[in-house]
Amino acid sequence: MNDLESAPINTGEDDGVEWTTVGGVRVPVDLITPPWPDPYMDIEDYDPDADLMVLNMGPQHPSTHGVLRVKLVLDGEICVKCVPYLGYLHRGVEKLCEKLSYVQITPIVDKNDYVSPMMNELAINMAFEKLIQAEVPRRSRYIRTICAEIQRVGSHLLWLGTFGLDMGGAIGGGGSIFMHTFRERELLLDLFEDLTGCRFHYNTHMVGGNRHDIPAGWADKATKVLAELGERCFEYEQFVRDNEIFRARTVGVGIVDPVLAMELGISGPILRASGVDVDLRRDQPYAAYDEIEINVPTETTGDCFARYLVRVAEMRESIRIATELLKGVPEGPIGSLKPVKLPGAVKAKHGLGVYSAIESPRGELGTFVVGNTERRQAAIPYRCKIRSPSMHALQLLPYLCPGNNLSDIIVALGSLDPIMGEVDR
Amino acid sequence: MTFENPWIHGLVMGLIIGNVSLAITGYSIWFERKFAGRMQNRPGPTVVGPWGLLQPVADVLKLMQKEDITPRSADKALFNLAPPLTVFVALSTLAVVPVAPGWIIADLHIGILFALALGSLMVFPVWMAGWASNNKYALLGGMRSAAQSISYEIPLLLSATVPIILADSFRITDIVEAQLGGNWFAFWPPGPGFAAFGLFFLCSLAESNRIPFDIPEAESELVAGVSTEYTGMKFGLFYLAEYLHTFIISMVAAALFLGGWDGPGDHDGFIWMALKTLTLFVFIFWIRWSYMRYRSDQLMAMCWKFFLPLGLALVMFSALWVHAS
Amino acid sequence: MSWPQDAIDLCTDRFGLTLCETEGATVEREQLVALATALKNELDFRFFVYVVSVHYPAVDPIPADEEKGTEAVDGIPDHTVVHYRLRRMATTERGTDTFAFRTTVPTGEDCPTVSDIWVGADWQEREQYDLVGTVFSDHPDLRRIMMPEDWPGHPLRRDYAIETQHFPWR
Repeated sequence: MNDLESAPINTGEDDGVEWTTVGGVRVPVDLITPPWPDPYMDIEDYDPDADLMVLNMGPQHPSTHGVLRVKLVLDGEICVKCVPYLGYLHRGVEKLCEKLSYVQITPIVDKNDYVSPMMNELAINMAFEKLIQAEVPRRSRYIRTICAEIQRVGSHLLWLGTFGLDMGGAIGGGGSIFMHTFRERELLLDLFEDLTGCRFHYNTHMVGGNRHDIPAGWADKATKVLAELGERCFEYEQFVRDNEIFRARTVGVGIVDPVLAMELGISGPILRASGVDVDLRRDQPYAAYDEIEINVPTETTGDCFARYLVRVAEMRESIRIATELLKGVPEGPIGSLKPVKLPGAVKAKHGLGVYSAIESPRGELGTFVVGNTERRQAAIPYRCKIRSPSMHALQLLPYLCPGNNLSDIIVALGSLDPIMGEVDR
Repeated sequence: MTFENPWIHGLVMGLIIGNVSLAITGYSIWFERKFAGRMQNRPGPTVVGPWGLLQPVADVLKLMQKEDITPRSADKALFNLAPPLTVFVALSTLAVVPVAPGWIIADLHIGILFALALGSLMVFPVWMAGWASNNKYALLGGMRSAAQSISYEIPLLLSATVPIILADSFRITDIVEAQLGGNWFAFWPPGPGFAAFGLFFLCSLAESNRIPFDIPEAESELVAGVSTEYTGMKFGLFYLAEYLHTFIISMVAAALFLGGWDGPGDHDGFIWMALKTLTLFVFIFWIRWSYMRYRSDQLMAMCWKFFLPLGLALVMFSALWVHAS
Repeated sequence: MSWPQDAIDLCTDRFGLTLCETEGATVEREQLVALATALKNELDFRFFVYVVSVHYPAVDPIPADEEKGTEAVDGIPDHTVVHYRLRRMATTERGTDTFAFRTTVPTGEDCPTVSDIWVGADWQEREQYDLVGTVFSDHPDLRRIMMPEDWPGHPLRRDYAIETQHFPWR
């Protein structure tokens, strides 16, 4: 499938998949598996004769995707209970947001989801713009969308590399795919360096628009890089999708119940791989997404392999969207407010809370901002809450682990794609 | 080169073959890293010495000067015994492998049985390390390794039985001499011979815990598996033992199935043995850097449901073939 | 943002609540669980987006000043406003909708938990307890999630100085 025109779309006429409707949403019947395991089960109730072992996959571990501590109770190699512990990367971002002004917050929030930083910036600046009721010019919306889609490709590439690491180890086959995807990602980071001057943590979105404009020749260079990436995606699919060991490790592993996922607040590729056709870019368009057609890939098996397929399809789709948008970036200003340089430049008008959400590579990333109406505090938020999708995805772990092998838990955790910076903030 | 006195013969040959093997194993680390680097579109070690050739030396010096930490609650005797025992068992398998006509440390009548038996002994040091470390990751690694090694010995023995039947001797020298002249057991009879070779190759990969069977030392799950608590030169010994075991099974596979020192025409000699061994060795690296690992229950299923019946079928087929001809 | 009509009808007709443009319905603590259950089961708001606690410290009443001609301003007690947001997934007939509601919890009193209605509220409520100090009654496991277990105080309260130190952490 070397076709960049469209990603596979789930049309509903799948071979042999039975659908039902839960809450108006169409989900595959096979994936709904109540009753869900009880995350607060008392271990003594499990089996008095079993020889249970408590294994602590501590904050330092080659495969917990950052500092996550998971306490597993194992019966042999099967997990009985799983208790995740968070907070090892808690940096007090929300408290900092109560001290810094709207202009100064963007570089702080950059570091939440450190794999696709522009998503954080976009989410928070959209919330700020909703708070002060600012308009964003059309050119800026195009730049934001293009950057968001390229970030999505970069994030999924990184996910693919670390997923290979989980399965093959740094010394071994996983290392090979890791090296390849990071090499591709370097091309994208070079693009961003041309645009903003930084490879990570750009501080390029601001309230009312963008700080950096597209330099001359960037559109052509980006189109070329994206076309090359599209072909490399095809190579990855060949290398990984038909690899028998990859299939053996991921097919049927870590099946996620879509009803449970919705209740937990999980969206993004995890929910889409379980058959639920939701995407904030299409359903609640923001930035320039209302000017372009989005094909949302879904799968119906809900296992790690399905999540892999969805993410690779999303990569292709993002490449297509970005390429198409690059062809027609409108002229105009890139910021609606005067160049926002001084901390006191942006002031909130009311003390109510607004929420705005975007579709990050992990799901619904949103920000709830409450304006400050105290004396001389109007340029600083009153409360800023960042709704991170990875935290909701991690909540799935106590429901996913019981009954699974240790190896399967690692693979399932990898396929959930948690970014601890976002979880802990 | 044969000496009259078996003790002197063993000593001299042992020194020569053992040291050469250890040297090649040491430099295989350099080669693997270069090879892996090129597979991943990067150069590999280049800093230490020209083309990074002094990298193994640097690694060994680094490991030697590291602090030797023994956990307080570890079983000290077993903990300290396990790494040298691993190397010892791996090296002792070298005793019956012929590297050239006449160059063999101990030409036992039961050569191949001796080699396989010592390979089975490899379970013990690994298990000891897993238990004595008093660490749950090491314990899990040790248990997985024990289960895997014990299971994969059976198809290994069965596939090694095929050249035994075809050559009608347990002595490895006899097996090699039966293949001289180009009728290597890997290609004769066509089909089952190659299947036996493939089976032997894969089962020895499983025995030495190489990818795709390296679940006992799965880095992403069990930090370093059995060798989690080992530091410094003890870790170095485990590392060395793994490479040594891999090298030796390449030699054994080359001797059993690829004709050993058989060359084209009449030009037999050590160089062909070396070439075949190194080809297999490189092939093992290639597999390692391309594939991910299987899950432990999938490994067991593969062994008992696929490899074992295949091994049995191969043995019966070769027995019938020899009986018929 | 305009709320979906059926949610507005539910709130105004059955519960008699007032709605704010951006923050949604204002509900009393006693009716919170009933409203949440109705929203989930009848109107299919099955996706739990967030729960946020916002702390408002006490403000002293300002007496009327006759010289300046200002009127008396009432004091505000120390309280927390807990905001909830739910989402309804898109179907072929409608797009995705969100709905929000909020409740006021005076400091020292509990807020009823919604974690038996949406499982996802579990950790989010723990986080709000940890950072702001809102206690959720009937929560299965209300303990700190981000901060260390023995941390004193709740950092995201407005009266908690950002430079507060607790040995050995900074």
